[in-house]
Amino acid sequence: MTGWWPRGLARRHVVERFASDTLRAAGAVLFASLIAGVVIAALGFSPVEAIRALLAGSLIGPAALTATLLKTGPLLLTGLAVALCFRCGVWNIGAEGQLYAGALLATLVATRWLVGAPAVLVLPCLILAGALGGALWAAIAGALRVMRGVNEVISTILLNFVAIQLVSLAVHGPLQESAGAYPQSDALAQAARLPELARIHLGIPIAVLLALAGSFLLFHTAAGFRMRAVGLSPVAARFAGIVPERQLLLTICLAGALAGLAGAFEVSGVTGRLFESLSPGYGYTAIAVALLARLHPLAVVPSAFFFGVLEAGGGAMQREAGVPAVATDLVKGIVILLSIGFAAGVGGVRRVGPVARAPTSLSGPQADGEVL
Amino acid sequence: MEALLEAAVRLAVPLLLAALGELIIERSGIINIGTEGLMLCGAFGGFAIAVASGSVWLGAAGGGAAAACVGVLFAYFVVVRRADQIVVGTAINLLALGATGLAVRALYPGMAPVSPTFGTVAVPLLSELPVIGGALFRQTPYVYLCLLITPLLAFALARSRPGLRLRAVGECARAADAEGVGVSRTRFAAVLLGSLLAGLAGSALSLAQSNTFTEGMTAGRGFIALTIVIFGRWRPGGIVLAALFFGAASALQHRLQARGTDLPYQLTLMLPYVLTLLVLALASGRSSAPADLGKAYRRESR
Amino acid sequence: MSAARAGAALPLIELTAIDKSFVPQRPVLRRVDFDVRPGEIHALLGENGAGKSTLMNILIGLVRANAGAIEISGRPVDLARFGPSAAARAGISMVHQHSTLVPAMSVEENLCFADPSGGLLFDRRRAASRLAELSQRYQLDVPPGARVEDLSVGQRQRAEILRALDRGARLLILDEPTAALTPGETAALFPALRRLRASGRGVVFISHKLDEVEALADRVTVLRRGAVSGTLAAGELDARELGRLMLGRDLSALERPSASGGERSSPLMRLRGLSAAGLGGGCGLHDVDLAVHRGEIVGVAGIDGNGQRELEEVLAGVRRMDSGSLEVDGKPVRPHVRTLRSLGVSHLSGDRERAGLIPGFSLTENWILKASHSDERFFSHGLLRAATASEATRVAIAHFDITPADAAADVATLSGGNAQKLAVARELSGEPRLLVAVNPTRGLDVGSTRFVHEQLLALRARAAAVLLISTELDEVLLLADRCVALSRGRVHAIPADADRAAIGAIMLGGQGA
Repeated sequence: MTGWWPRGLARRHVVERFASDTLRAAGAVLFASLIAGVVIAALGFSPVEAIRALLAGSLIGPAALTATLLKTGPLLLTGLAVALCFRCGVWNIGAEGQLYAGALLATLVATRWLVGAPAVLVLPCLILAGALGGALWAAIAGALRVMRGVNEVISTILLNFVAIQLVSLAVHGPLQESAGAYPQSDALAQAARLPELARIHLGIPIAVLLALAGSFLLFHTAAGFRMRAVGLSPVAARFAGIVPERQLLLTICLAGALAGLAGAFEVSGVTGRLFESLSPGYGYTAIAVALLARLHPLAVVPSAFFFGVLEAGGGAMQREAGVPAVATDLVKGIVILLSIGFAAGVGGVRRVGPVARAPTSLSGPQADGEVL
Repeated sequence: MEALLEAAVRLAVPLLLAALGELIIERSGIINIGTEGLMLCGAFGGFAIAVASGSVWLGAAGGGAAAACVGVLFAYFVVVRRADQIVVGTAINLLALGATGLAVRALYPGMAPVSPTFGTVAVPLLSELPVIGGALFRQTPYVYLCLLITPLLAFALARSRPGLRLRAVGECARAADAEGVGVSRTRFAAVLLGSLLAGLAGSALSLAQSNTFTEGMTAGRGFIALTIVIFGRWRPGGIVLAALFFGAASALQHRLQARGTDLPYQLTLMLPYVLTLLVLALASGRSSAPADLGKAYRRESR
Repeated sequence: MSAARAGAALPLIELTAIDKSFVPQRPVLRRVDFDVRPGEIHALLGENGAGKSTLMNILIGLVRANAGAIEISGRPVDLARFGPSAAARAGISMVHQHSTLVPAMSVEENLCFADPSGGLLFDRRRAASRLAELSQRYQLDVPPGARVEDLSVGQRQRAEILRALDRGARLLILDEPTAALTPGETAALFPALRRLRASGRGVVFISHKLDEVEALADRVTVLRRGAVSGTLAAGELDARELGRLMLGRDLSALERPSASGGERSSPLMRLRGLSAAGLGGGCGLHDVDLAVHRGEIVGVAGIDGNGQRELEEVLAGVRRMDSGSLEVDGKPVRPHVRTLRSLGVSHLSGDRERAGLIPGFSLTENWILKASHSDERFFSHGLLRAATASEATRVAIAHFDITPADAAADVATLSGGNAQKLAVARELSGEPRLLVAVNPTRGLDVGSTRFVHEQLLALRARAAAVLLISTELDEVLLLADRCVALSRGRVHAIPADADRAAIGAIMLGGQGA
């Protein structure tokens, strides 16, 4: 789990861990597919047909691959957001809401504030707005946790629903298209659309770069070191001069920015408009993405791709094999449970990733004099 | 007004049942994010069995049983393996969405059939009461179930020894263990019972509020139940009020949407969540959440 | 001691020649004899780690003895079958130091939830009347209907005693019952305990406070290093004698290093009038004055829970002072972790997993743990210099002979001794001017203990200062140039010529200070 660090003597460990983690992840994926296949077969569908259709719709041919990559992008960014947070011991379940918040602010910038501006101005602003929107949304949960001791699991879930309603409100009201026919925003001007190559928009390579950057941050910088220290042991970190509250805020804002970016990229790179069901639950699938990647930012890339395959292939599976696309959710659920199972090992109770869960109360700050 | 009240109660019932189930689980010290999935299982199980047997009563029982089975899975990971409760709950949600979506298409290719439904049953005399008569006593059996279960649960928590033990485990597992109360056993039982209620709540959606099952038909109600427990400050009475409030909010929202008034219905949808956040943020002093909520219990080895 | 049997009644419980070891070859209890008679208050004394809690856990059936015999009211008991429920049936009940009442429930509810004789329903009125009756009879006053979390520490304790009585306890074990009580509450507890005695019950009273033992006990048993070092009757009690029994008589065996003549001019670090809130009902710190000079080791002796943890946290920079001042080099300093480190104040904790090392991090990551804000060698421009860090760790591993000799290994895989070596090496690597060492050898074997001691002495030889806060008196006496005792959150001077018995008396009750 220590990643690509430290070098030298550690290389053996890195290789060993990489191998064992990869094996475990592959095992989880394989088992989950197997179980899903058995369920599909038991329900009278043809699992062979289902898998063929799923692969055809996600991997075989340029169109299918494009569809998969377009799904991989937001899963990568939100998965990265979740992985960073879990590493720091912050239980952020709110990537979905942060994605919507980012999309909302980006759309606001593109369709209301910078209408007609050239791409060099509007694109950076839109991207920044996306990141800012997500970060601000996440900061609410972070501030509630740090200042009022509110458990972030609950607050981020609540904020997801509020964000979705805010978006709904916006596309029915102030951001609704000029035509006024549908609850959706105006189409983004061409200048506000991300450049794309063969339908792969710029956001996807940026997401991959951000995964690299996330890995660098976590394992090669002082800030990432402090985050990981807090995630493993907030009390020991405090004795080492690290302020856990500050790391927590920093991490959740960073994660919010990543998820918000995913929202901005969706609007600017894929849909071209904001509407209510922009995300098919990317922010929730992100938890599975992060856990399968064992919270390693680089491993989030293949993990997101795997779930991208499910997301893109699910539709094809439904159309061609008659197996409903939600079957992929079954696979996601099993993958999570198996990730826990594989992490625990035989008879063990070790949890995935950094196990130290910061003590928080669900309402009200803790009164006793503990250091944390 | 009376119609609005009637609708509020009708819409509140599945929320209330699920929230009471969540209450039982949380009072044992476990936070269950998977209520949404449990409800979905209950909705599907209830629907499928009602269709197959032609009996709504068997259907409701089946819905509860189906969710309880998934509850065993949840309890296994959370209580026995001591895995993270949030992560397992998320998995349960995804699992249930996938499994029920798959099953409904497999069992009923094409369109899902119409299931028998619970009709409204008027209680003689009481249903003639002004204002509340129709809202409380001319309803489906689910409402009467709530009228029965809520005081029973309140009584059990306050005045029965199993209830005391449940609270002891959730408030201070260490003390309960020292006093010889089986922490794992109690938590397992709480998850089972809570899942059963969540399943019944789900069956209310497919057998009373509609007459069929559609993929993901719970539409976030499991999370609302979670919110209701917090908003009701972990007390049955508070939860009833919170559930009624949420029910009224969605009844109002339906009405606003139908009338096309200026007030955006999203505000009424958003309001409960924002209020809950405010309650959490402003709650000062003593917390009403069970003190050991979310903490896996391991006996200290000496 | 068996000769002292009073003939009248059989002992409630009698332990004979009890042996217990958790790890082979490391006995925790050695041939311990202990008995409690009806109508007797039997005090149990001993240092931390003397075996008191193990002995009590055997009494209440939580721990099984390896050898020996247990008789309850004269009837022999099968050692292998004597578990918690057997102890409960025999009417043996323990009031723990940390309350086992559920804070969010009322006293009546606590009385009932695990009562084996209760029915399905909780009858609040009956519970209340039982409670009222008991509290009337023993003058143990508990407000009816109150939630436990709203009660004072003393009221909680009374509630806990009442619960034990409600279960029909015939033998009550009180583990340091006065540790967290105010003097007034303590004064109220004693008559109640005497009433218990008068009702024919037996009481085991664990305490570190001599005056209390003198006031209450009919007999006193002292444990030292797992063996009974003496049992005295009420008439024979004497502070020096008890101190000797508790701490041993091997006075001459220990030689304190001669003071290395650190300049007495100005202290490196000085605490004036420090007060800090207690942890979880602990005693906190009151008006602590303390000074440490260059080239000296100052020992702070005392029994756990007398303010050690609060003092440690203030000096580590993670706890706020409520009043008082901290001066380093004569200049006032606000104690923050990073400020203190920049002034050359290091912190070494025996509680490694809490305050020293992070399991899950590699040796290297732990080596640089405290450097992430300041140290240019390992972190420059916000980046982590991995090669330098692992090189430095490897040097330390080789120098201090840490196994496994692998800088990338997880610290959780290290033995206690090796983990502490790593922590010591890390704190020393910065050449601290003052090292605050708290129980630095807790849980270590003989070899590792010697290593840590040598390092502390070497540091002193390099004209650095060491503040040694330890609950092991032997360790303090061995290393320190000057000692004080921490007792109930206050510092008491220990005269240079004080012998162990006198020190024991000061630790027990602050006498002779």
